[in-house]
Amino acid sequence: MDSYAIFSSSGAAPYDEAFETSGDSRALYRQAFEHFQGLGPEGVENLQHSADLSMLNQGVTFTVYSDARGTEKIFPFDLMPRIITDTEWSVIEAGVVQRMTALNLFLEDIYHGQKILRDGIVPTRQVMMSSLFCREMSGLNPPGGIHVHIGGIDLIRNQSGAFYVLEDNLRVPSGVSYVIENRWVMARVQPELLNEYRVRPVDHYPNMLFDSLASLSPNDNPTVAVLTPGIFNSAYFEHSFLANQMGAELVEGQDLLVDRDVLYMKTTRGLQKVDVLYLRLDTDFLDPLVFRPDSMLGVSGLMNAYRAGNVALANAPGNGVADDKAMYAYTPEIIRYYLDEEPILPIVPTYLGARDEDLRYMLDHIPELVIKPTDASGGYGLLVGSQASKKEIKEFRAMLAANPAHYIAQPIQQLSTHPTWVEQDGGKGFFPRHVDLRPYAVCDVNGNVRVLPGGLTRVALRRGTLVVNSSQGGGSKDTWVLHPNGTGQRLA
Amino acid sequence: MLSRIARNIYTLGQQIERAENIARILDVNQRMSLEQVYFSELDVWSPMLAITRSREAFDEKYDDVTQRHVLEFLISDTSHPFSIRSCLRHAREMARTVREHISEEMWLYLNKTYNDIERTGKIGKLTVFLSDFRQFCSAFHGLADNTMSHNESWDFLCLGVSLERAQMTTRILEIKYHLLLPSADEIGKPLDLHQWQALLRSVSGYEAYRRQYKARIEPAKVLRLLNLDPRFPRSVHFSIRRVSEALRGIGTANSEQYQLLRETEYFLDDLRGGASRNDLMSMGLMDYLEQVQQRCDMISDMIDKAFFNSVTVTLAGQDKERLIMQIPQQQQKNK
Repeated sequence: MDSYAIFSSSGAAPYDEAFETSGDSRALYRQAFEHFQGLGPEGVENLQHSADLSMLNQGVTFTVYSDARGTEKIFPFDLMPRIITDTEWSVIEAGVVQRMTALNLFLEDIYHGQKILRDGIVPTRQVMMSSLFCREMSGLNPPGGIHVHIGGIDLIRNQSGAFYVLEDNLRVPSGVSYVIENRWVMARVQPELLNEYRVRPVDHYPNMLFDSLASLSPNDNPTVAVLTPGIFNSAYFEHSFLANQMGAELVEGQDLLVDRDVLYMKTTRGLQKVDVLYLRLDTDFLDPLVFRPDSMLGVSGLMNAYRAGNVALANAPGNGVADDKAMYAYTPEIIRYYLDEEPILPIVPTYLGARDEDLRYMLDHIPELVIKPTDASGGYGLLVGSQASKKEIKEFRAMLAANPAHYIAQPIQQLSTHPTWVEQDGGKGFFPRHVDLRPYAVCDVNGNVRVLPGGLTRVALRRGTLVVNSSQGGGSKDTWVLHPNGTGQRLA
Repeated sequence: MLSRIARNIYTLGQQIERAENIARILDVNQRMSLEQVYFSELDVWSPMLAITRSREAFDEKYDDVTQRHVLEFLISDTSHPFSIRSCLRHAREMARTVREHISEEMWLYLNKTYNDIERTGKIGKLTVFLSDFRQFCSAFHGLADNTMSHNESWDFLCLGVSLERAQMTTRILEIKYHLLLPSADEIGKPLDLHQWQALLRSVSGYEAYRRQYKARIEPAKVLRLLNLDPRFPRSVHFSIRRVSEALRGIGTANSEQYQLLRETEYFLDDLRGGASRNDLMSMGLMDYLEQVQQRCDMISDMIDKAFFNSVTVTLAGQDKERLIMQIPQQQQKNK
């Protein structure tokens, strides 16, 4: 720790984004440190307060489900930005494009010829027995053969400082609205800091998204709508934000109707045809005639309209089979198989409960592993072996033995840390907290993938915690990807 | 525009207007009740419940009508939909579903006011709260006027505000005769005049009256101002004209919408021409007000059918092809 008094680098993590192992601050962060040092503890606290208030009044909130009153909370925003150099970013960008491309080819194959299964690269059982394999998608031809139009790839940085893929989100990746809102708040409360760095913009994301969605329709001027489960959904703010920023209609299931395989929305002037529907609803609830019959949120006949080619759905239903945590283990092979390239971003070593030898290893090494159910997300139902009690380990071992194919395990990863404004040891200051990174990418009908330069940096606000999900008490940071030569260069 | 969105914008306007009117009548009543000298015997709080149509809900909670109970019930109690706080909540929830159709300034202002009241949960000094809240409502209308495109969304907002206003003005008048009716020998006496004056104040009509008529307060003139005056912004005439303008702005895409517009125009014609004035004289106030109420209710029902819960549906832009189907809108489920 050097002269910056309100900063502490005394974390246990081997890799800190802002500090060298020697305890000196990294050159990249020096201006940021000076800025916060200049503000002093009171100044930082005041800024934090005004940032929080601004978020609350803007209604940048998510709904907490466990609270029966449906309380809205803000997603805690940390003032210290996470900075990524152009060199680091170009690797991430290429890696994300490669993954999205390969997984799109994989999904199109899985729902058509299934060559990859016949060639024995991925076990047939793994795909066909998956609860996320969507029979209704078999033989269905989405526009351009594209299944993943919007993807979010979760990355972590381990002890070596290299980026690893933690998981793919190919169904309904959320959080991109916070990327944009965080930047807006940053520009409002700390414009002078933002000015010191040459940061690439993120607020064109809605345009990127709209272009990709619009490309799915053969019409020149298609009607694009965003389907939300409604105001009580935790991500409602984001649905409304994206629709608003794209100039698209935000619709609920009750606003839609399918007649003779054409999707319409009910307007005050009659029915209006919808060409592209951006789904922010789980596939299970999409069409009560095909999926869950008790769904009140979907539209009867939607899948027929989709199959008839009268409406494009983004993301396509059935993508879960590719971002399933067990399939993750095969993603390097999938990339090699379809693209004949080596994966640019490595994955974390993964043990599959479905494999006998892996299962034995898992049962013997629980304290060293993170064990996750294959089909859950949001940080629910996972066990961090090193932090679990004897009793919890015993219970988990029994669940694992009973249903091994339902679980995967990975060696516990030391997520990198980042200075974050929190209370610790009775005082407020910047203390190291674990972070991850979710970049967002969109893919158009021709398979062109564009990655938003930035992404959501989630931070675990509780000391030592590795789980960063917002549902588990995480916060977020503005993520700055610098222009080439933007590194620590003060503008004259 | 989506029918659901149209309905939610309409409801937003209606709830803001309703909350404002509650604040207005309570404010005036509060002031009136301070002048105890005139009304030691008079129950001035029951009428508040009648105007807001909340008597039944009130009786379920309280045994007697006192100032404290009524104020508590109509301001901060959220266990029923009739209080200012409930209306504000409802308005804010509606606004949240239509953020992309109203201006950012409107949302920010509404959400901030909501957060301020919800987070503290306290009202503070009553007179300050009521006057601040009235200012909030006026400023909200001002923001809508100045920062929002005067498009279809705007028309639905005006529709909600104006129809609610016409109904409220009618109810306020109704109360004067229904519940505060003095005995025959009181008419024209200080008590009676005082009440008329209070009534005018509750619709911000006192100054308008003074300037327009330059005369002492006469019930017939008050009635004319609040019913038939084309320029006074809280009169029935003015409000119904705004309803008609909004409907014209929205346009007519099917026969239900056409019938609705026609019905509104008939009503407006009566208010504009002599018909209403003659009715007002010949029918007696109560019958007249009842008739106005019924016409407002009918327009409200027709709006619901024509725009929000349409039974017949035409394909937009294809007037000849006409689908007849039953597609009732699901009401937004309250959790």
